[in-house]
Amino acid sequence: MKLLSLIVKNVGRNLLRSALTALGTMVLVLVVTLVWSVLHLIDLVTEEKSHDVKAFISERWSVPSRLPYSYASSLCEGAARADHPEDIHPTDAMAWQFYGGTLDPKNPSMKSMVFCIACDPRKVPTMMSGLEGLSATEDAELHRSVERLLAKRDGIILGRNHLLALSQKSKDGKQSMLEDPLGRKFSLSGFSNFKGLDFDFEICGVFPPGRYDTLAVINRDYYNAALDAYPPSHAGVPHPMADRSLSLVVIKVDDMQAYNRVAEQITTSLRFQNPQVKCETESSGVGSFLDAYRDLLWIMRVPLTLACLGTLALVLANAISISVRERRTEMAVLKVLGFRPGQIMFLVIGESVLLGLLAGFTGAGLTYMTINWGFHGLSFPMGFFPVFMIPINALWWGVAVGTGAALAGSLVPALSASRVKPAEVFSKVA
Amino acid sequence: MTHTDTPIVRVEHVHKFFRRGSERLDVLQDLTLDVPEGEFLGLMGPSGSGKTTLLNLIAGIDSPSEGDVWVQDERISAMGEGQLAHWRTRHVGFVFQFYHLLPVLSAYENVELPLLLLGLSAARRREQVLNALDLVGLSDRIRHRPGQLSGGQQQRVGIARALVTDPVLIVADEPTGDLDARSAEEILDLLGAVSKSLKKTILMVTHDPRAARRADRILHLEKGQLVEQATVV
Repeated sequence: MKLLSLIVKNVGRNLLRSALTALGTMVLVLVVTLVWSVLHLIDLVTEEKSHDVKAFISERWSVPSRLPYSYASSLCEGAARADHPEDIHPTDAMAWQFYGGTLDPKNPSMKSMVFCIACDPRKVPTMMSGLEGLSATEDAELHRSVERLLAKRDGIILGRNHLLALSQKSKDGKQSMLEDPLGRKFSLSGFSNFKGLDFDFEICGVFPPGRYDTLAVINRDYYNAALDAYPPSHAGVPHPMADRSLSLVVIKVDDMQAYNRVAEQITTSLRFQNPQVKCETESSGVGSFLDAYRDLLWIMRVPLTLACLGTLALVLANAISISVRERRTEMAVLKVLGFRPGQIMFLVIGESVLLGLLAGFTGAGLTYMTINWGFHGLSFPMGFFPVFMIPINALWWGVAVGTGAALAGSLVPALSASRVKPAEVFSKVA
Repeated sequence: MTHTDTPIVRVEHVHKFFRRGSERLDVLQDLTLDVPEGEFLGLMGPSGSGKTTLLNLIAGIDSPSEGDVWVQDERISAMGEGQLAHWRTRHVGFVFQFYHLLPVLSAYENVELPLLLLGLSAARRREQVLNALDLVGLSDRIRHRPGQLSGGQQQRVGIARALVTDPVLIVADEPTGDLDARSAEEILDLLGAVSKSLKKTILMVTHDPRAARRADRILHLEKGQLVEQATVV
């Protein structure tokens, strides 16, 4: 206990150096935390689950996937045949119809675009990935938003980025739109393949910050009614998307065995041959999509992480080496008093580890608070992930990274301190 | 004189040499010495004569190249580093020229430092530390850090640290070398009192003839050999 107190006092001996070392450690912990947060989420979604397996069903040979909406109900049932009781039914399912509109049809830009998923709103809380780990308050608010959307055919649940775009467009001023968006109305004009499909919406809710910052959810009935209403006003010609408005079906099954059965039911069904469909697990689907980022992810995972950890260890090693060099006489005195080499090493390593641990925890904590609370996520658009939240585990990463690097960085200086020869030191002092 | 004739320190035919590249420097040559228990011994000699090296060998912080060093009945010249560290804590107290107190610790904590290695209870440590500080007249300075103490007071803390484990041997390397005349006198008075009242064996290296005169016996070293012994009356 007394030795720990000595370690604490030694850390405070040169406050400027300790503060600078801690600051360097915190910056590097921040970088590692950001990188690992991105990798952590990707690892989570690409990890094959053994229970409650989600699967995506999409068009086999075309990207983006465009399937007839008539596929939806049967695919949601896993293509289970009525006269085959042995066929497996998914435990839950959701059909997605994508719609893209712009807030500013005269001058469309990425900022003014709103990508919507037209679906059955009741499926939002259970079938949309990334909404599982919400806080109780966020979860309750999401359910209220879904209830409002069910009750309001022209309702919409927006992502936070849309709200920002609307605030800039709104004459009411940014603050009021951001603080009180419910009930406000706006229009979207279809762009690209969705041209001619224009909608008026009323805001029913806003997604919690994170995965759905750039996506919105609307009632499928409202969307399909617009497709149905299109021909009478266009000389009887249906909208180009009319027969290919289904983008994706997401199903959930109990386990991998059930998934394999359902996948076989779907891919062998004659109903889904023109166009053909493919079925893949969510992790496999996301993984395939992220293949384009494979090199970038590898660079983040290996060289960047190693470079950060190496630099961190060097920063700490440098600070501890200077400290040990300055205190060689003190180490010699401790040895003369009877401290054994192992105890001297303990003191030096303890000093470094304490500094690394505190700086690592503080760095990770500040990163967590700044990114999650201050910026509502790390904006790093990659595939389906517009932003990445820092997981609470990052606090432990910070401690582990800071402590591990401190341990590695202090080994050589500690060894050097433990080998101090009092007779040589005092002959130089004299 | 308060010492007995039983030697507590025996140095037998000790050689100590260092190597600087290919050159061999003989610092001590065939040196033999007995120090009786309770003696206050002064070691004098010019710079480089081997005084501090001899002190280091007797205190177990260096090992002889040849020969043996015995303290009480233990042959410390044959001990390994770990054994010596253990032995030093219990048997030797050090007083340094430049005090070498840890600046981040208070006077109390500096004196307590060697006791941390002995596995004593906190109450026992406290008792011993307060006794040692009382002995050197610094009971009212226990919370002061070295930077808040004068040179003489720091050296008193150094002496308290040397005494706190109740060692059989006190070694002091130029204990007054960094002090003004008045503080030096006070430290020498204190060492004299320790020698007489606590019957500690003290080995003191000094360049100062006035300091050496406080010793029971003075040894002169020159080029690694004892050249003169004088007994102070």
